[in-house]
Amino acid sequence: MSSAIATMRHVRGFDVVKPFSLGMVILLMLPLVLLPLASIFIFGTSKGLGSFWAALTAPEAVFALKLSVVTSFYATLFNVLFGLLAAYVLSRYMFLGRTAIIVIISLPTAIPTAVAGFALLLLWGKYGLIGRFLPPDLQIMFTPYAIILANIFVTFPLAFGVLMSVFETMDRSLEEASATIGATRWQTFWHVTLPSLRGAIVTGALLTFARAIGEFGSTILVSGNLAMSTQTAPLYIFSKFNEGQVEAANAVAIVLALFSFVIFFILFFARDWLEVK
Amino acid sequence: MMPKQAADDRGFVESAAAGADGAARAQETAEVEVAASVRALSKSFKKTRVLEDVSFDVGVGEALVLLGASGSGKTTILRIIAGLEQPDSGSVILHGRDVTDLPARERGVGVIFQSYALFPRMTVQENIGYGLRIRGRRRREVKEKVKSLLELVHLEEHRKKYPHQLSGGQQQRVAIARTLAYQPQVLLFDEPFGALDAQTRVRLRREIRALLREVNVPAIFITHDQEEALELGDRIAVLHAGHLEQVGTPEEVYNRPETEYVATFLGAANLLLGVAAGGRVELGTASIEAGAESARFREGQSVKLVFRPEDVHLSLTGALPEGCRRLTNGVIEEKHFVGAYERLTVRLDLVARLPSAGEPPLYEVTINTPETSLGVPIFVTRPKPEVSATALKVGDRVAVCLTAFRVLPNFALASERASRTLDTQK
Repeated sequence: MSSAIATMRHVRGFDVVKPFSLGMVILLMLPLVLLPLASIFIFGTSKGLGSFWAALTAPEAVFALKLSVVTSFYATLFNVLFGLLAAYVLSRYMFLGRTAIIVIISLPTAIPTAVAGFALLLLWGKYGLIGRFLPPDLQIMFTPYAIILANIFVTFPLAFGVLMSVFETMDRSLEEASATIGATRWQTFWHVTLPSLRGAIVTGALLTFARAIGEFGSTILVSGNLAMSTQTAPLYIFSKFNEGQVEAANAVAIVLALFSFVIFFILFFARDWLEVK
Repeated sequence: MMPKQAADDRGFVESAAAGADGAARAQETAEVEVAASVRALSKSFKKTRVLEDVSFDVGVGEALVLLGASGSGKTTILRIIAGLEQPDSGSVILHGRDVTDLPARERGVGVIFQSYALFPRMTVQENIGYGLRIRGRRRREVKEKVKSLLELVHLEEHRKKYPHQLSGGQQQRVAIARTLAYQPQVLLFDEPFGALDAQTRVRLRREIRALLREVNVPAIFITHDQEEALELGDRIAVLHAGHLEQVGTPEEVYNRPETEYVATFLGAANLLLGVAAGGRVELGTASIEAGAESARFREGQSVKLVFRPEDVHLSLTGALPEGCRRLTNGVIEEKHFVGAYERLTVRLDLVARLPSAGEPPLYEVTINTPETSLGVPIFVTRPKPEVSATALKVGDRVAVCLTAFRVLPNFALASERASRTLDTQK
């Protein structure tokens, strides 16, 4: 028997290791990834599309989704603009403390999101280090602004990291060529540097958006989770599930999942277009 | 100290008496108008000195090649002229105007980078029109200029392609056209053929020479390839460790090298240690009539006899052709066929002159052959017609004479490279 397998392995065109190992991988992936995702869709639509649609168009659900999209959009905008600035400065100039700044900027990736939210509360909250000196109309905790702030805190390293790596590996002779041709710094940035960053900007923005729209840990602490006011989509799912309204939670969960699928497929399949040739 | 001195003197002769302060005077007196010049450039990176007191001129319509090994500072010179690097001291003058303190974009210099640095997101015609667009020229003017440049570099049918769709040679032509669009004062080529295969390289060299003649813009090439330098340059400036060793026409630097470095960097050279004595150079037991060559040296000065493998003539009969100066006899030790010519190693009958009592020997030669023979080996090349006329074989005894040679002072300086062909120890 064992000798039979040993000879089989040497038969050209048939390698037992291949189907076996491939089967193992698929078998593991099913319960880990595919089945949980599938169950969202199966459960969400089990009572018919009508009830799914009703759950989705409930005012609270619509508001939560809108709030998530809007706050994530602003966080993304901020990350791209300031990510560009930070990456430009940190890749072009050498100065004392440069590495320290890079480490500090990237630090939030390692911090648990709940800790990040808590930290923001302790700084900006009514009794926080800075918050205690602010007048009541400038208190931002438990408002949508707090959600944006938390999103930026958590996602900025993602956009920065993508942009920084492209800046650092960029062919400097392109910018030098532009300068010798007679372009000002701004013209060089606009016509030469920025087009080369197109892929990195799109990637950084999508990563930020994908991460921000699903952000839970920091948002639940700083937003206050008030329905129709500061409740984002992930918080809505959490709250409705706690209240036993599984259907309502499921409808929004499907929409969030679809959002991330779309972003993921753009990142995965538009790579050719995004990459600098 | 001396080789630097010699190089400096040469520099002054070549630059038509232009002093550091006499750029205007130089323009009046020089035969050709000076388009670009650098004066006494020095530059250090951290504590490493990469350029030391480098001066040269480029005439209008002239092509100058900066030739040097990697690390010789040639790229730094180019970057300083382009304004991408600041010199520690010295100045850059373009058409009589001191531009040392101007930023790159105000100099009007065209740089063709080694990677060509074409903008990847722009088409060929957008690349070429870039310099005009950022200068705010009218769209029609840009279009016409781009059209004529596309014709000049023969890329009309590629105008809508992106750089990555072009071959290396085509990309290079786009890079040149892109700089010509804004009428540069001088073109700088950074290792222009480094990224290309040997055949394309030779073809492009000729194309670029023809193109430059057509547009009549002075050019500075940098390269480490001596063959390329000889073919491309109206003049060649040989750089070594941040020093300018020699500036001259290709014939001058090849046939009359001023320093040992120039002699060995441009092609192969045999070096023999000797002593100047009474119009001759004594090499141990042999001597050769040196005439005017040795007049530059005082009696008894230590010198080096420098000659190229192709300047050696070998004779089985001892009959020497007219104008070939007899050196000594030798034995053929090795013979190789290398295509275009035959390459021989000849062991000369030279034995070091016996030193006076108590003095160390002038030189010693150690060669590891089965019988560890005495004598000095030299390399000789013979062209095919000569090979077929008189066949030589290993072990033949031949008379050796030289049709051309140089006598250079012998310096025991670290900067002077040790002989490539001899293992000599002073």
